[in-house]
Amino acid sequence: MKVFQVSELIAAINGQLSAFGEVWVRGELSGVKVAASGHRYFTLKDGEGQLACAMWASRADRLRFKLTDGLAVLVRGTLEVYPQRGSLQLIVQEVVPEGLGELQLAFQQLKAKLEAEGLFALERKRPMPELPQRIGLVTSPHGAAVRDVLKVLSRWPHLSVLLYPVRVQGKGAEGEIARAIRYLGKLGRLDVILVVRGGGSLEDLWAFNEEVVARAIAASPIPVISGVGHEVDFTIADFAADIRAATPTQAAELVVAQLERQARRVEEAFRHLHLAWQRSFVRWQNRLALLAGSRGLALFPARLRQARAAVERARLLPQLLRGLVMRRQRELQHAGARLFSWPVRFGAARRRQLVAGQEAMLRERLKALVFRRRLELSGKLRALEALSPKAVLKRGYSITTRDGDPRPLRRATEVAAGERLVTVLAEGLVRSLVVGRQTSRQEPLFSPGEDEA
Amino acid sequence: MSKESFEQSLSELETIVSKLEDETVPLEEALKLFERGIKLARKLKAQLSAVERRVEQLLAEAEEGEEPPTAPFAVEGEGD
Repeated sequence: MKVFQVSELIAAINGQLSAFGEVWVRGELSGVKVAASGHRYFTLKDGEGQLACAMWASRADRLRFKLTDGLAVLVRGTLEVYPQRGSLQLIVQEVVPEGLGELQLAFQQLKAKLEAEGLFALERKRPMPELPQRIGLVTSPHGAAVRDVLKVLSRWPHLSVLLYPVRVQGKGAEGEIARAIRYLGKLGRLDVILVVRGGGSLEDLWAFNEEVVARAIAASPIPVISGVGHEVDFTIADFAADIRAATPTQAAELVVAQLERQARRVEEAFRHLHLAWQRSFVRWQNRLALLAGSRGLALFPARLRQARAAVERARLLPQLLRGLVMRRQRELQHAGARLFSWPVRFGAARRRQLVAGQEAMLRERLKALVFRRRLELSGKLRALEALSPKAVLKRGYSITTRDGDPRPLRRATEVAAGERLVTVLAEGLVRSLVVGRQTSRQEPLFSPGEDEA
Repeated sequence: MSKESFEQSLSELETIVSKLEDETVPLEEALKLFERGIKLARKLKAQLSAVERRVEQLLAEAEEGEEPPTAPFAVEGEGD
């Protein structure tokens, strides 16, 4: 019988084992270790047996999911005896999860991991910007998604789009997407980033389920809206995004809806401001009319007329200003049109500069005019307040009439003892009975007067 | 005209409107409120239309703080 050297025997056994060729083995993972080299070592076992396995880094790094203890798998590899330890091991080429597909498993694993890190937490989510006017768009420059998004965004005239073209599927797409999100985020002149892709298979959408994309989204300094696939598709990117839209079209619609909502609020407020202003002037006009109508209080009819005119002008001020602004705008448009019809050699930049200069000048002039009008108006209003009978009453004067007769009393001889009087004060009025009168003012004004008897 | 203040300005305008709608505001104050309101409304409208419509495509990344090169972008198969 032949006597072997140990290594000789192992070599002979390995020779026999290679005849086995590749095998598929079903079992459960246990004792998974990742060596510093990146190689994975684990044991594959079932109820009765176990098999040591090694998977080299070059293979293991291609796995989309993570090898974890307890995972039921199918493993493909070749058998060999490791000479240094004399133990049998399976050199693994491929691991396929059982039950779930490989992609679903990877998805669930990554989702659980990032969730545990708090990457999807609601507190992290930022709201839609107040004014999402400058949009960063991360998607492929070809295909339906970019067309859909731009079509919806074109509904709002005042927004700009900066497209960072990327591949949205295939090897390396996730790296491009993550890089684009990071770059647009730090650009510092955008309000929001849209990350979109049209529908496709789970495999097609895979780039949006990669960790680098989720991390880039979560780290973005500006809000990110995702719109990947169809309504039913949820990707890791969707979970990480501040706002998840069901489709690319919807992502764009959210932006436009926000701008429309804000514009509506401004319009409403502006309209109500004018209405309230008109109403308060009608109120003041009515009060003036009332004062003018009561004989006793019509102290300075001429100045009252002036004041009323001032109020009327103030009421018309908004219209005057509006008319003025419109006239200036027309002039400006006219000037703009003229400028644009100039020979091309001026160049667009130069022309814009000219228009901007004109605009600034007109704005300055308009501002000065408005300022002057306001100054005039506030002077008038002060005068108006000063002659208000209320101001007179506030200074301590009062008006006394006989009950039922609106004419103010001027002489003590106009009343008789026992008559009822009404005295109007700055606040409220006093009813009194005449107990006596004194026809001349001999006593000091504010000492208690004696009756004439 | 900082962008952050859009919401603040808008709330202030909305508050002014409700104050003006209160009948007891004295004329002098009403005038002040109205002027402030007009100023805010103009500012808000300007902010709403501050951005020019533009669709551009990034051609390359630029160093930090520099403007990256861009070109106008139009969807394939559509005009201009």
